[in-house]
Amino acid sequence: MGIFSALFGRTKLRKPNREDFFAVVTAESSLRGRTDIRTTSQAGIVVNPVESQYFDSLDSELRDLLRVSGVSTGTRFELRDDSFGTRWVVLEDRDFEDLVATVHLVGETIYDHGFGDRLLAAVFKFRHEGRDAYWIYSYKRGSFYPFVPTGNRQRDNAAEMRLGTVMETERIPVERSLEQWYALWEMPF
Amino acid sequence: MRQRGYGRDRGLTFRMFFTMFLLGLLYVAFLGLLFWAGISPILIGVIAVAMAIFQYYGSDKIVLMTTRARVVTAQEEPKLHAMIERLAAMGDLPKPKKIAVMDTHVPNAFATGRNPKNAVVAVTRGLMNRLNEKEIEAVLAHELTHVKNRDVMVLTWASVIVIMAGFLMQMLFWMSLFGGFGGRDRGGGGGGQLMVVMMLVYVGTIVVYFLAQILIMALSRYREYAADRGGAIITGAPMQLASALAKISNDMYRIPEKDMRQVEHANAFFIVPALKGNAVASLFSSHPPTEKRIERLRAMQQSMEGGYRSFRV
Repeated sequence: MGIFSALFGRTKLRKPNREDFFAVVTAESSLRGRTDIRTTSQAGIVVNPVESQYFDSLDSELRDLLRVSGVSTGTRFELRDDSFGTRWVVLEDRDFEDLVATVHLVGETIYDHGFGDRLLAAVFKFRHEGRDAYWIYSYKRGSFYPFVPTGNRQRDNAAEMRLGTVMETERIPVERSLEQWYALWEMPF
Repeated sequence: MRQRGYGRDRGLTFRMFFTMFLLGLLYVAFLGLLFWAGISPILIGVIAVAMAIFQYYGSDKIVLMTTRARVVTAQEEPKLHAMIERLAAMGDLPKPKKIAVMDTHVPNAFATGRNPKNAVVAVTRGLMNRLNEKEIEAVLAHELTHVKNRDVMVLTWASVIVIMAGFLMQMLFWMSLFGGFGGRDRGGGGGGQLMVVMMLVYVGTIVVYFLAQILIMALSRYREYAADRGGAIITGAPMQLASALAKISNDMYRIPEKDMRQVEHANAFFIVPALKGNAVASLFSSHPPTEKRIERLRAMQQSMEGGYRSFRV
C-alpha cells in the first residue's frame, strides 16, 4: 500500500492474477510422480457474501456462467453456505488444468462485478502422505500457502512449512509472513 | 547423480572465522594498550582466566542452580531419556551426563557443560506440553549440537577479554574515585601526564569492552545458526525445528490457529505488523531473530527438495 493510499484511506484491490494460478498448473505437472503430492479433483472459492440484490444477481450469473463453462470443460459446481456465514463455490473436475482455469474464471467474474473485496480465498485440495493438504490462495495478499489440518482444529505446522518450500521451489508465490497463513477449518470438501 | 543433500553454509563458516579473527585483533590491541600504558596485563589476565576456568568447569552446576532445573532419571522421564539417547547416537555423541526438567510454562530448552561427556540438557514443561514429539526432537537435536560444537568452551574463552576489560574498567573507576591515577603528588607535570594516559586507558578499555561484547554476541548468533543446521541434520527434518521455533517464539512470527473467515481485517484492509527489530538491540542479542532462523532452515529444506529434483533427468 502506497503512502497516498494510506493518507486518503484508499484500499486498492488486487486483481486476481492469472499468472499465479498458472503457476499451480505448472507446479502440479512438475510434481506429479516425483513427490507424494497428488491432486484431487476438488477446489473451491470462498467469498464473504453481502446483503444486496447485486450480489444475488451475481449469484445467479455465476450459476449461469458455470453451467455454460461446465458444458465444455465438464466441471461440476455447487454453491454452499458454511457455518461461518461465508459462501463456497465448490468445483470438481478430473482435469486439473480445467479446474484451475475455472477457479480463476470465478474469481475474475466476482472481481469484475465489483465484489473483489468479498473474495477471501481459492483453495486447491491435494493428498500428501495420506492426508488432505490444501493450497490456499489469499486474494487479499495475492499469494499461496499450504494448510494441513489434522482434525480437531489442529494443524501440522512442520508439514505445512515443508510443503511451503516445495511450492517455492516450483516458483509458486508463497506467502512470506507465516502469521498470514490463516486456517480454514471445516473445509466443505 | 548423487543427491546434493543438505549443502553447506559457507557464508556462515566464513562469518564465524571473520568474527573470531576480529576478536583476536581486539585482544592484541587491548594488550598493546595495556603495555603502552605500562600496566602489566599479567595480574588481570590471570584473574580473568581464573574466572573463565571457574565458569567453564562450573557451568553445568551454576546453570542448574540458577534455572532451578531438576535433574531427572531415566525412571522418572523414560521418554525424554530415550529420545535424547537416540538423538545423541544419531549425532555421534555420548549421552549427556544429566537431563533436567524445569517446571515452567515458558517453552524453552538449554544445553551446557564443558564437554560432551559432562553435558547437561534441560527442557521446560512448557516445551514438552506445547510441542509435538517431532518438534521436541528437533529442539533437543539443536541443543545436542551446541554440545557437539563445544559452544560453552568457545564462548567462555572468547569472553575472557570481556572479563578482563570489565575488571580493568572497575579498577580504574575505583582508583579515580580514591585519587589514584597518579594523584600522589610527585610534583610537576608527571602526575598530569599520567592522568592523561590513564584517561586514555579508561576510554580504550570501555571501547574494547563494548566491541568485544558485540563480537561475542555475533559469534553466539552464528553458533545458533550452526546449531539449527546441525540439529536439522541430525533429525533430517529442518521444518520440524522451524515449526518448533515459530511455536515457541513470543513474537508475531507464527502460523495462526485463527480462521481466515473470522479475521475482521480480511474484509477491508490489513495492518501489516512490520515490527522490525531494533538495530542496536539486535547487535547485543545472543540469539538471531526467529524469522531469520526459519528463513535459513527453509533454505536448507529447499536445497534438500532441490536435491530430490536432481533425480529428474
